Amino acid sequence: MNVASLFNNFKNTILTKYGPNPAKMLIYTGVLGWFLSSAAQVVAIAVNDKIPKEQKMFLIPQEIGDGAINVVSFFLVTSVIKNFASRLVSSGRLATPNIRKFLTESGINIKTKKGWKVLPNFDFSKFNIENMTNFYKIKDEYKSFKNGVDVIGMTAGSILSCNIITPILRNKYAASRQKKTLAEMNMIEQDKVKYPRGISMDTYQKYAAMKYSTPSSSLKI
Amino acid sequence: MASISSIRNFSFSRAYDKFSRKVSRIALDAVGSSENLPTISNPKKLNAIDWIGKNLSSAENRLILGASALLSQPFIDASNKEVDAETRRYSICRTIAKIIAGTATGYTIRKLCIKSIDAFAKLPSEIKPDMKFKNLRQVLAPTLKCTAEELAQYKNTLGTILALGVMVFTNFLIDAPLTKALTNLFAGRSENK
Repeated sequence: MNVASLFNNFKNTILTKYGPNPAKMLIYTGVLGWFLSSAAQVVAIAVNDKIPKEQKMFLIPQEIGDGAINVVSFFLVTSVIKNFASRLVSSGRLATPNIRKFLTESGINIKTKKGWKVLPNFDFSKFNIENMTNFYKIKDEYKSFKNGVDVIGMTAGSILSCNIITPILRNKYAASRQKKTLAEMNMIEQDKVKYPRGISMDTYQKYAAMKYSTPSSSLKI
Repeated sequence: MASISSIRNFSFSRAYDKFSRKVSRIALDAVGSSENLPTISNPKKLNAIDWIGKNLSSAENRLILGASALLSQPFIDASNKEVDAETRRYSICRTIAKIIAGTATGYTIRKLCIKSIDAFAKLPSEIKPDMKFKNLRQVLAPTLKCTAEELAQYKNTLGTILALGVMVFTNFLIDAPLTKALTNLFAGRSENK
């Protein structure tokens, strides 16, 4: 296989995998973004001659831990919320009037005075519109609606994970690492450090300037 | 006590699937009763959902994340009682600086990369006679047939992958110095005199 056909394969794989599913692309490129960002932080510390070897031994594992929190939190939270949004549509819970009409004509939904309901004992967890034999009739409208709901779910999930869960977890993690370091510096037990007093603003700024990341909120690339 | 066979049969993915299905079921039940299924019939809302699915690329996603980060992260830092007041103040300043620098560069680079991919992933019908570099306009286009929407999403994906590669470098060349400059500016202004 030559380079041209390899390149064509690559392009076609991207098209078939992410063309019909934009939310999936946003999650995967988001995870890749977090991973590369964390890897860049680790490399920045590793190649920085101004940081002593002893500090690198502390900073590199801290940065790896930090990166792991970012990647895992982003992936888990975002994909769970995106999947939930996706299932809302594919199970027929949430629909447009045309999709609802299609489900009613197919005998899945029943029109009532209040709106629509499902048959008694209907199991949403086993139902998927995409598996219906006459799905082709509603495919275009369904795909377009589902993609929109998926992207909204993905965006809501990434806001929750990147802007709320991750900063809280990172603050906790960074504070515990800071406490541990101060305890080691002062040769006392970690439990006795109430909170990290004793580190001057100058020292903190020096550390923060040397180290690209800070205890709170990572810079997603 | 767990038996050896139960440990052998344990699969993380199966356990995660089971858990995820359970959570999803509880959440789905909470969304609305099966007696009154929610139907979005407002044309404006339907158009907005459709537009988001078709047009929201990673660049806009980054912008939304940045804007919402400004509304949440400084307050999370401000309520972090595990560090002293001075560290907290500095941490807030740096968080705001990072969000501004990261969002500005992240959005711009993603947008530029998606535009660059778009310029060289044209369909034959899109190539006009007065276009420059006509021979290169299809270099990045896929060889399989696809719809206009799928092609647009393909360009977004390829552009985002390119942007991630570019940002490995701009992270050091632009973001880091910009974050530092903005942090010093904010820290100086918020200092108690």
